Amino acid sequence: MPQETKAMPSDADAGETAPGVQHENLQGWIPPLATDDEIRLALEKAFDYRGDVTATLKDGRTIEGYVFDRRADGPSLAQCAVRLLPRDGGGKVSVLYAEIARLEFTGRDTAAGKSWETWVKKYVEKKQAGESNIRLEPEKLD
Amino acid sequence: MGIPVAQMWTVTSYVVRQKLAGRKRYPLVLMLEPLFRCNLACAGCGKIQYPAHVLKRELTPEECFKAVDECGAPMVSIPGGEPLLHPRIGEIVEGLTARGKYVYLCTNALLLKEKIDQFKPSRHLTFSVHMDGQREHHDFAVCREGGYDIAVEGIREAVKRGFRVTTNTTLFDGADAKSVRAFFDEMMALGVEGMMLSPGYSYDKAPDQQHFLGKSKTKKLFRKILSNRSKGWRFNQSPLFLEYLMGHRHYACTPWGMPTYNVFGWQKPCYLLQDGYADSFAELMESTAWDKYGTESGNPRCANCMVHSGYEASAVDDTFGSVKGFLATVRATLFGGAYADPAALEALEEKAAPASHLGLVQVNVPASRATPAAPAETARA
Repeated sequence: MPQETKAMPSDADAGETAPGVQHENLQGWIPPLATDDEIRLALEKAFDYRGDVTATLKDGRTIEGYVFDRRADGPSLAQCAVRLLPRDGGGKVSVLYAEIARLEFTGRDTAAGKSWETWVKKYVEKKQAGESNIRLEPEKLD
Repeated sequence: MGIPVAQMWTVTSYVVRQKLAGRKRYPLVLMLEPLFRCNLACAGCGKIQYPAHVLKRELTPEECFKAVDECGAPMVSIPGGEPLLHPRIGEIVEGLTARGKYVYLCTNALLLKEKIDQFKPSRHLTFSVHMDGQREHHDFAVCREGGYDIAVEGIREAVKRGFRVTTNTTLFDGADAKSVRAFFDEMMALGVEGMMLSPGYSYDKAPDQQHFLGKSKTKKLFRKILSNRSKGWRFNQSPLFLEYLMGHRHYACTPWGMPTYNVFGWQKPCYLLQDGYADSFAELMESTAWDKYGTESGNPRCANCMVHSGYEASAVDDTFGSVKGFLATVRATLFGGAYADPAALEALEEKAAPASHLGLVQVNVPASRATPAAPAETARA
């Protein structure tokens, strides 16, 4: 389930609308981690994901958090690391790719369902129902 | 002129010092994001899509000061999230202005009246109020009816108290050029010092990936908006950057020109793209593969970007990098110019074709407010 960038126009100056990124539905995904390539791909997707993931390490520890960085240029998994902000509020945590035994996209995709079309539809429905003071509210954080 | 002479002098002397020191890459504005939390929920926003535990985090004043000292840029822009939600924002701003930085506090102004006592008027502090157009357009864009009126109240209060106030406006696919021009008149009538503009950008993590302008449309839109200018309009931006948006100039991106610092660290490579984070400004500058970014790189994520965070620094560098650029800036700054363009004027009169997804309609603007000042009328005749 790769996250791919749509094909760009051959000449950006001629493009009328900028192509965006097509996001996959990754919530709940447990990627296969049998090979180095699968591990690299899964962590790249975790980096692109807009929710928390849970990593289970080979020593049995689990870390749940938001992946904000990955340093994947190393030739081996032992030389690549992913960095997370833990859900429990601690400081930045760095984990070597080679230490990860299991990964799960446990958190909600925070952008899912928040498209412009959804807002337009909601607005039109409320307007037609005669409502005023129409707005989208930020989600509660607690 | 939209930018005070003292600020221009500070920026000029800074850039000249960088040039004399032979620095090829130097920051111009630090984008300091002290938090991602926001009191709006704009559909499609690409800046605040994070889990709650990330949205609750914020930079301390000490972390902000360290970042500013590391970076050294003469100007600091404080976007977010909504910075007025930060419980210590007054302390942060005071610390930055005490360092001689020119601070632009970017706010949706919903809390401006309530929080304004935390700040003191200073030539080093500007409230840059996010306004996306006339009332209906702004409210629809920020997904909140009544948002425009609250923001206008905030602007009035800040102007009344002697603060520097600018507006910043992001334009997306389907923007109505005629309405935007009428909006400029409204903002200048409120007494703002100047206005800032930028096309939107399709952030990778944004839920909305379809409604962003390609380069061709960007140039057409800004040519319609910024040609045949009213004499009353002032812009708090490089005039060469505005000419770039109109398609009159070509620039390569300067992604290091406006580096970003937030709760994750120093963002690679720029304000818009997130390809990872560095733990120090020096690491950001040294470890980022700059040649992989910008228009010339072939990176598809950069192909349609004409955003200020990448190109305004290019325009400023042009001002100080060539006699031609310097003279063009002096001419535009001192003598302004209507940028008379009969074809753009005609295009303005065409019925706007709203993008099918937007549902925005062309606002009926009284002709007296939509028509440009005398030079343009002369050109049309």
